[in-house]
Amino acid sequence: MTRRHVFFAAVLLVLLALPLFLDKYALGIFVMIFFYAYVGQSWNVLTGYTGHISLGHALYIGIGAYATTFLAQTFGITPWIGMLVGGIAAVLIALFLGFLGFRFGIRGVYFVIMTIAFAEITRLIVSHVEALGSFSGIFVDFNPSFWNFQFRGNLPYYYISLGFMLASLVAVHLIEISKLGRFMVAIREDEEAAQALGVDTFRCNMFAIAISAFMTSLAGAFYANYIYYLHPNSLFGMALSIELILRPIVGGLGTLFGPVIGSFILTPLSEISRAYFSKGGLEGLHLILYGILAILVVLFMPKGIIVYVKRALHPILGTTNAE
Amino acid sequence: MSKIRMTDDRMDRRTFLKVTGAAGLGVTVSAWGVPKLLRAEPAPIKIGSVQPATGPLAVIGQGQRRGNQMAVDYINSRGGIQSLGGAKLELLLGDSESKAEVGRSEADRLIQEGAVMLIGAFQSGVSMAIATLAEQRQVPFVMDVAALDDITQKGYQHVFRLFPTVSVFGETGVAYVKQIITEKKVEPQRAVVTNTGDPFGKSQGENFIKWFEKSGLPIEIVDHITYPLGIHDLSAEVAKIKAAKPDLLFPVCRPGDSIILTRELHKQRVPLMGIISPGSPGWYEPKVIQDLDKLVYYVMDNVPWVYPASPVYQEANKLFQEKYGTYLDTNSGYAYAGILVSADALNRAASTKTAALLQALRETDFKDHPMVGKAVQFKENGDNINAATAMVQVLPDPDPNRRVKVVLPKEFAEADYVFPAKQLWERE
Repeated sequence: MTRRHVFFAAVLLVLLALPLFLDKYALGIFVMIFFYAYVGQSWNVLTGYTGHISLGHALYIGIGAYATTFLAQTFGITPWIGMLVGGIAAVLIALFLGFLGFRFGIRGVYFVIMTIAFAEITRLIVSHVEALGSFSGIFVDFNPSFWNFQFRGNLPYYYISLGFMLASLVAVHLIEISKLGRFMVAIREDEEAAQALGVDTFRCNMFAIAISAFMTSLAGAFYANYIYYLHPNSLFGMALSIELILRPIVGGLGTLFGPVIGSFILTPLSEISRAYFSKGGLEGLHLILYGILAILVVLFMPKGIIVYVKRALHPILGTTNAE
Repeated sequence: MSKIRMTDDRMDRRTFLKVTGAAGLGVTVSAWGVPKLLRAEPAPIKIGSVQPATGPLAVIGQGQRRGNQMAVDYINSRGGIQSLGGAKLELLLGDSESKAEVGRSEADRLIQEGAVMLIGAFQSGVSMAIATLAEQRQVPFVMDVAALDDITQKGYQHVFRLFPTVSVFGETGVAYVKQIITEKKVEPQRAVVTNTGDPFGKSQGENFIKWFEKSGLPIEIVDHITYPLGIHDLSAEVAKIKAAKPDLLFPVCRPGDSIILTRELHKQRVPLMGIISPGSPGWYEPKVIQDLDKLVYYVMDNVPWVYPASPVYQEANKLFQEKYGTYLDTNSGYAYAGILVSADALNRAASTKTAALLQALRETDFKDHPMVGKAVQFKENGDNINAATAMVQVLPDPDPNRRVKVVLPKEFAEADYVFPAKQLWERE
């Protein structure tokens, strides 16, 4: 067992034991930290590793949330199964989007626009489908039970979201060390060169977008049964798409721990500063702070905070190939 | 460090023990409830207010906060909650940023900080998220403003609402139309409904048509026109309205398109008995009144409204104007009323325990509020039985700030309504 293993085991133990010392609100903050770390990681799979920028990832959260809730409220299907159905739906749509993008060479800003367009079109469609609550949204029924993925306290949500985040770390780590992962990074660095060297870039891109969409959509199921209210504007909208990419960008794009570090910094910052400035009657200042921090990180830490975290942890973790 | 010099009145250990002993005895005695004067002031009772203080609805959200805060100050100036030893209220502030998940998180924070009740949240979606949280944490949640029916259809035990629901809007609006045509003995045959294409406009328009058709009024809705929010030209839509030959127009408008619509109706000389809005902000906003001047006279709007003649409103409005330089409007009025109702429940419950508070809220019969409508009483599902809209009408007055008058229901009316109205081009 290396020092690194000991360190990660210690961090894990702390996270597992943390609820013993936290109140419900603080637990809620951690739920949001894990949630955004997970979603950021899911987005990271596509954009961080293959370099194809998606600014419409809210699409998959929305699909996951709506599919799970629709199946639960209409057919009584447990969200545990519903989220897989939602995941498959998200994959199919992502593959269609990916097919258009990767087969026909839609790249760069055009790919970005296409991801936004898909999310916007879906938002508009959902806004007009009566069965999906139309523009009023869906009010999720609250019947707490494990089977219904609904709980009274924040504790189960804490462990579920922690589980999601850890699972995403393991998944992305496995991708990272696999052949697919190496190919993805090769695509990010130079797609044409990768292709010239025999990498089936289309296949790799399709895998990346499918995995990313599937993972993101599971977060939608979680959101639906944590917030209990779905609205097309908030679930498919641009605001969420941007919110979810901030953490990996601040933390470190295309790195395993970037989204997690980003979320551990940005989520509490936004929560605590909001709480603080709400009291002082300085509403809105927290948003300015948040914006300034994002600008500073992009300006002075273009590779993300992870570089500094790695440097700080160097004495504990030993040599790492810090990017 | 310099020595602390104790001069003539130095306190030795024995004196110290005597004094502290006596003080300790005093505390003990007061804890047993004998000398009231010695007792410390009771701890403040915290109420958590979650409103959209930043984001797209910031202006309204600030107004909501002010309404809540003013009522808290008012209750405190009257000696706090009497049954709890004059305990003062303390408003804890949360900001939903217009987002459901933020609203939920903020409400959770306020509960953690000791809020025994929650109030808010202006938007139905945010309110729904908080309603579920209130159910999870078992804390009463009083919705001052939130209109979608669904929030109170979930069988929640901790949720109460003062504001009229979307259904009440529709039902009352149609009832007023019925009353107007009956009282004025007119027989309109045809009507057109218009609305903006945003969620608010669409739901108001469709809901009104639903109730209209249910009412069995002998008026046919010959056309239903939807146009995008923020449109700059309504000439084609107005031509369509004119071709449909309606006697009545039921427009759901925002302040921008209401101006364009009215000017175009004037330009194309569309004859109408009257313009009656099913409920929309496009007709009573000061900017609209200023811009349209005579053209907006006689337009009616079915909206929740303050009751200007009530002493509660006059007192609150005076304070509100002194403090914030603007008048207490429908929304901030409800925010104000929400706190009054909560304080009333606290007073009757004589406890901050949830069970007692819920019981007291269910038994609410509170009439001293500044809004149009009878006493606040809650149904089983938490809706206010007497939540009502008023019919307001823009009537000629030299002072543009005094042109919007409550005309129905009669018991709250400030003026008689004019119907049918003079045609737009006959108002010189």
